[in-house]
Amino acid sequence: MATIASPAPLVRATARRKPVPWVPIALVGMALAYLSLFLFVPLFAVFFEALKKGWGVYVAAIREPDAWSAIKLTLLAATIAVPLNLVFGVAAAWAIAKFDFGGKSLLITLIDLPFSVSPVISGLIYVLMFGLQGWFGPWLAEHDLKVVFAVPGIVLATVFVTFPFVARELIPLMQAQGREEEEAAVLLGANAWHLLWRVTLPNVKWGLLYGVILCNARAMGEFGAVSVVSGHVRGYTNTLPLHIEILYNEYNFAAAFACASLLALLALVTLVLKSLVESRQAKESS
Amino acid sequence: MSIQVANVSKRFGTFEALHDVSLDIAPGELVALLGPSGSGKTTLLRVIAGLEVPDAGRILFDGDDTAGKRVQEREVGFVFQHYALFRHMTIFENVAFGLRVRPRTLRPSEPEITRRVLRLLKLVQLDWLADRYPHQLSGGQRQRIALARALAIEPKVLLLDEPFGALDAKVRKELRRWLRRLHDEIQLTSVFVTHDQEEALEVADRVVVVNHGRIEQVGTPEEVYDHPATPFVYEFLGNVNVIESEGGRDYVRPHEIEVTAGPESGSLAALVDHAIKIGPVVRLEVSRRDTGENLEVELPRDRFDRLGVETGTVVWLRPRRSRFFPQSASQEAKIA
Repeated sequence: MATIASPAPLVRATARRKPVPWVPIALVGMALAYLSLFLFVPLFAVFFEALKKGWGVYVAAIREPDAWSAIKLTLLAATIAVPLNLVFGVAAAWAIAKFDFGGKSLLITLIDLPFSVSPVISGLIYVLMFGLQGWFGPWLAEHDLKVVFAVPGIVLATVFVTFPFVARELIPLMQAQGREEEEAAVLLGANAWHLLWRVTLPNVKWGLLYGVILCNARAMGEFGAVSVVSGHVRGYTNTLPLHIEILYNEYNFAAAFACASLLALLALVTLVLKSLVESRQAKESS
Repeated sequence: MSIQVANVSKRFGTFEALHDVSLDIAPGELVALLGPSGSGKTTLLRVIAGLEVPDAGRILFDGDDTAGKRVQEREVGFVFQHYALFRHMTIFENVAFGLRVRPRTLRPSEPEITRRVLRLLKLVQLDWLADRYPHQLSGGQRQRIALARALAIEPKVLLLDEPFGALDAKVRKELRRWLRRLHDEIQLTSVFVTHDQEEALEVADRVVVVNHGRIEQVGTPEEVYDHPATPFVYEFLGNVNVIESEGGRDYVRPHEIEVTAGPESGSLAALVDHAIKIGPVVRLEVSRRDTGENLEVELPRDRFDRLGVETGTVVWLRPRRSRFFPQSASQEAKIA
């Protein structure tokens, strides 16, 4: 008995002198400090500045006609860009993951192009193509059509900048799932329509939703490309991010932060949706 | 339905998966395509199903060329190696899929679909799993569901790709006996791919041995095992001793060697290196006294006990049966 009991005090002694886990504490501390400095404090500052002069000023800044038209234009651009890129993303991902064809790697590279090109350049491309001095400029002017410095230009730029999101999200997922389920479905008599709606899309629904959420967040928040093609015509070609910049340059901080808080809210909603989707996805795949 | 494979060739880039393959399968037959990995057996199965288009040659079902037919119209039941069950559908919906995607005019009514699906689930003895999802099932259960799903469209032909490949040894044995009984019951022309010779010999009516995109031999399990047509078939189907002799090689199965304690006419002396007892069988690893060549001999346990040999003893060997292949043929087998 004595021999068995003797190690016990020793164990207790080491338990009492258990070393403080400095390394994890330091790492977590550093991460938190970093996050606070670059994320939490600015986020807090946005809402603080927006509401500093009271709720009335805040609501007035948002209900002001130019702000309201910027919100509507942002929503319009997103409403067009997101469905377009949803359809394009699904089609491209389906083609790339489930079929073999020449030029596949070229297509993948092209899909990534908007990620690798500076947004300002993407905007400039449209100015060079559709601007007055651009390739199609004279023809457009003849037919009294405006693309650059008008709503169509903003929509085009938004579509371009956001088009990789859905496709990029779906391609690796579909590739990982392989083609066997589709082959099985075809052997059971399914046509292309059945394949898409009953086999392929249900298998990637969470990835698809995730891609759409990211695509939407970017469509509403895009600044660079839209800024180049917009021309900043107040109440007409200003999106919400552009409107914020103008207000800020005019030292109208309360209004600028009020509008900025809307975009910050959008970001927060996006994050919540994203983590909801991720947890559902994880639950289904387990 | 009969299947006729006529001069089919298929390449993937520079790799020749099938080279001028011809094969006739009779109605109601259960045929095994047996070969090592990369031999082209799965490609042949996929060509028959219509999942791959052959570069040359034709596939005929009951004498009709299938070339113009879409995969959907071939009425082929196909079971994938990894089952390929629809992961987001219940077991019931998986089996019902083939009926639900039929054109409206050919689609059975909802009660009829339910009746048929439940009948199939009973046939594979898994009707109690109808509401589960594929990931909640074991490998053997998934395999049987995949089979039920393939049978739901009342196919004319059943094709199975390595149907037991992903299962553990015990489930595998049970399932292949069950498949054999099922086949006897429903009498559907069936082709399955396997790399496991025991599986092919036990289950199939006829075995097609495939190597390097070519058919080496077609025959009943007894024919291919007892009378291998080529050195490759000899080496692939079971163990074999290859003994160098003048102008070629002799192929002798380990269990077709007579072991005696003393010399007899035509026997060779060999030293016992190891005696390994595997249940009722004893495997002797011996080396020839004259050339030092290593050979394998198998004999029943009681025969071994009566011989009274052990490691280090000299025994005398005489092949009861052997087959001689001239140099050129055995050279080919070596390349293989």
